[in-house]
Amino acid sequence: MKITRMTTAVSVGLATMLLASGCSSSSGGGDGDVRLQMVESLTNPTRTALLKELLADFETENPGVTVELISPPTDQADQKIQQMLQAGNGIDVLEVRDITVGPFSANGWISDMTEVLDGWEGWEDMTANAVDYATNDDGQTYYIPYGFYGLSVFYRTDLVEAAGFDGPPETWAEMLEQATAIQESGDGNYGYAFRGGTNGNGNLATAIEAYVADDIDTSNGFKLTDGSSIFSAPEAQDAADMYFELFAKASPPSSVAWGYPEMVEGFSNGSTAFLLQDPEVISAIGSSTAITEDQWDTAPLVKGPTGKAVQAVATSGWGTAESSEHKEEAAELIKFLSSGDASTRFTKENSLVPILTSAAEDEFYSTGAWASYVTMTENPDTYISVIQPRSVEWWTEWTQKADSEVQRVLVGDMTSEELLASWDEYWMEKWAE
Amino acid sequence: MSVGDTRIAPAAGPGGAGASAPPPRPVGGGRSGGPGGTLGSSQRRIFTVRKGLGLLAFMAPALIFVAVFIYYPLFAGGQMAFRNYNLNNLTDTSWVGLGNFRDILADPVFYTVLRNSVVWVVASLVPQFVIGFALALWLRRRFRFRGVYQALVFFPWAISGFLIGILFRWMFNSEFGVINDLLAKTGLIDQPINWLADPATAMVAVLIANIWYGVTFFAIMILAALQSVPDEMLEAAALDGAGRARTLFSIVIPYISVTLALTVLLRVIWIFNFPDIIYGMTGGGPADRTHIVTTWMIQTTQRGDYGRASALGLIVIAVLLVFTVFYLLAMREKGSKTR
Amino acid sequence: MIDTETRSARIVRFGFLGLWLLITLFPLYWITVTSFKAPGSIFSRPLTYWPTEFSLENYIGLFAKSQFGVYVLNSIIVSTVAATVATLIALLSGYVLSRFEFRSKGALMTAFFVTQMIPSFIALGPLYLLMTQLDLVDNRFGLILIYIAVCIPFSTIMLRGFFANVPDALEEAAMIDGCSRIGALFRILVPVMKPGIVAAFIFNFVNCWNELFLSVTLMNRDSNKTIPTAINGFISSFNIDWGPMSAAAVLTVIPTMVLFAFASRWIVQGLTAGAVKG
Repeated sequence: MKITRMTTAVSVGLATMLLASGCSSSSGGGDGDVRLQMVESLTNPTRTALLKELLADFETENPGVTVELISPPTDQADQKIQQMLQAGNGIDVLEVRDITVGPFSANGWISDMTEVLDGWEGWEDMTANAVDYATNDDGQTYYIPYGFYGLSVFYRTDLVEAAGFDGPPETWAEMLEQATAIQESGDGNYGYAFRGGTNGNGNLATAIEAYVADDIDTSNGFKLTDGSSIFSAPEAQDAADMYFELFAKASPPSSVAWGYPEMVEGFSNGSTAFLLQDPEVISAIGSSTAITEDQWDTAPLVKGPTGKAVQAVATSGWGTAESSEHKEEAAELIKFLSSGDASTRFTKENSLVPILTSAAEDEFYSTGAWASYVTMTENPDTYISVIQPRSVEWWTEWTQKADSEVQRVLVGDMTSEELLASWDEYWMEKWAE
Repeated sequence: MSVGDTRIAPAAGPGGAGASAPPPRPVGGGRSGGPGGTLGSSQRRIFTVRKGLGLLAFMAPALIFVAVFIYYPLFAGGQMAFRNYNLNNLTDTSWVGLGNFRDILADPVFYTVLRNSVVWVVASLVPQFVIGFALALWLRRRFRFRGVYQALVFFPWAISGFLIGILFRWMFNSEFGVINDLLAKTGLIDQPINWLADPATAMVAVLIANIWYGVTFFAIMILAALQSVPDEMLEAAALDGAGRARTLFSIVIPYISVTLALTVLLRVIWIFNFPDIIYGMTGGGPADRTHIVTTWMIQTTQRGDYGRASALGLIVIAVLLVFTVFYLLAMREKGSKTR
Repeated sequence: MIDTETRSARIVRFGFLGLWLLITLFPLYWITVTSFKAPGSIFSRPLTYWPTEFSLENYIGLFAKSQFGVYVLNSIIVSTVAATVATLIALLSGYVLSRFEFRSKGALMTAFFVTQMIPSFIALGPLYLLMTQLDLVDNRFGLILIYIAVCIPFSTIMLRGFFANVPDALEEAAMIDGCSRIGALFRILVPVMKPGIVAAFIFNFVNCWNELFLSVTLMNRDSNKTIPTAINGFISSFNIDWGPMSAAAVLTVIPTMVLFAFASRWIVQGLTAGAVKG
């Protein structure tokens, strides 16, 4: 009967299609070959391309091992990594961030690499800071940082000069003054690339920390030495007033919603004069077509009335999944990425503060935009390095809450007093638990 | 009650062809005058084992797919709503009863979000409906290039919500966005509007994007319904000397009212559950002004709080279920009155 | 409607239609213009409404920097297979639900309808675990299965409406002539309902083509990504790559637009025949 033939034909056709679509994803390998799956989190196209090159080098050095890089969209990356780790499948090496290491290790998702890394000579080439961050309070190593992020001021030399200033701002008060002058000069430029969107709380915390720098607990950047929170200090109110004035007088109104991409864009397209950012953006701004190299420079982080600035270092690195069946090869890969040329290239091309002492001595890091980082490392008493409680399991909850409240102050739903009281209450409660 | 019973058939059909059919069996046919005879014959088919197996075989693929890939994950996810289930610390996932729901109800943001959701649904739906209806009405009449026009004007439906969000985010950009530029060129504004950053305009901007997107669905559905109105009815109305407006309101709209009502219901559910555009445009900001329940839920999952997020998901389902039941009851009520 | 249109009504009608066409097409026009601008000139003022020089750089970059061709292929495979299978399955279930009476029918209809109310985020986590157990994560076949499941309920409801409008007499006659029930279904009903089936297929196809969250969750490798995931990837931590993104947007929209152009008449026709029952 004609109809049965037709149905058969259709179903056979469909079955073939289904099979065809399924077959290519069967896992490869065989012959004792090891295939590692590696997932990155802070994905961007240039970095992904670089990582792929480094992985290719690793594969040449280690015949029999292939690495597959998975690059989820940054927006969903950490959530996706969580899902993969929870499922206990498909992940060997992963990007572990200072904000994810706490939860991931608490859940037993990532493995302590102390043993596999025991006796590894790579440790000796690393900066004290890197070794420090690689080892947690209990002496375990869940990840090895690939580099560090720290803030510096990016500024437009031409605009600062045109507004009649001799050099970049050194304090928050000068930042407010210069940014206001530039914005009010009437040539259509904005002063400060304000961060009102995602992670907008971070820069406010940085400002507050600078204002309370004399009393800050360096092992917990949100605490004062007397055990109270930095948000309860009277100086915190001064810092907040200054900071929100910076928004009102000297920032583009649309920056209420600016996150990382918009801030960087706002600076590199030439419309704003100041940007507080990680070294990571040096390369991004360097490739800008709107402003040339002699139009911008960096300066050390701005200080508070204390004459000091507080640098809360952020970091991210590589770790292995507990569920991985190839922990040894995974560790080899991490060693590879954390030493020698691979590490140097990675930090250089992504403009990160390096983890290797050799790279730190490199001339590259003492010239141009990097010079201000050298100034900061050489003056640890002025640029105090503190550890923020970024690895607590409620960190993402905190940033969501804090971001939302910063925005509420910006749009007038909340006062800065209420915000500080709320932040103080939040942390005191958490610490009391 | 089940949704299955609710195809109160052409209460619409002024001919009342379906009126005599007994209630349990939904009367087929949107067209009045659907041959009444066919209704009865299948209605009381003798139920044999063989036939039962046959039916099962027909239904099985659909049931298996829906059960395995939709309902199983739903229940597995739903139970998290009653647990302390936070991906940032899974060492203690004990049952907390209604704790997550209490937390949500105690959070003032929830009420903002709920209000936003209602605004989002109503203020998207009404313009979508009105423009969609007008479009359908005017497309019903043939004109040259109607096919081309239809193809061009229907295309927004074919774009993903997320992409639309991104696209409109770009156009609403206050410094480099084309919308401010056009408004400035036509002299309507002299200062750029911070569409997505200003609490007063952010919701307007996301609504505009959603309206742009959603008109098509209404236009297609209504156009289809309009074309099912028999010409004879309209001719008869014309002979009666009924005016255009009167024909529309007393004949056309009642005739297609079931389609209209169900399309509206479906759209309410979809729009309520549609975070894509907002997610792409504002992510819920500024200061939660554009957060609807589902975008808020995404944000909650992003900080790992699956317990709370699942509770929100169940609240969404509950709200929509209650709404649907009342809506259908009201519809049936109205239907029986017209009869 | 039937009476002749007055001159002013005509002006209103074409005025409205023209205006709406403009509004509909403007975003498409804008993203197209953006995609042809040289990367540096995207952020430049005054805005140019027509690129001073057409640059293909964004398109070249799109294919050079990402495997865009692979994403397109994945999207085509996944959407076509899922939409086809879902439509076939829904044809069977829609048929049963329109033609037969049985006790659990109301419950089934409700269960199908309720799926429309489920926010996908509630199910993503468990779905990922389930797919891991089935070894179908990061696998196009796995994504297809889920898309089929997602498409089935609405197309069942839709097709059920179409069946209800085709008199039973048709297939009963065929069955008396010796056709099996399935024979009658495919031989007699399907041809009659062709526009409706096409409409259901298009709805399914468009939904799969545009789906983002499930695809992001379930696909890992670059070689398995679909277009929406790839577009999402242009938003990186420190910039939104508007150039290649707009090029990708244009290339994504074109196929669906062409499909709609061909099918829009069918859709309306199909839905008219069914006079859609929710």
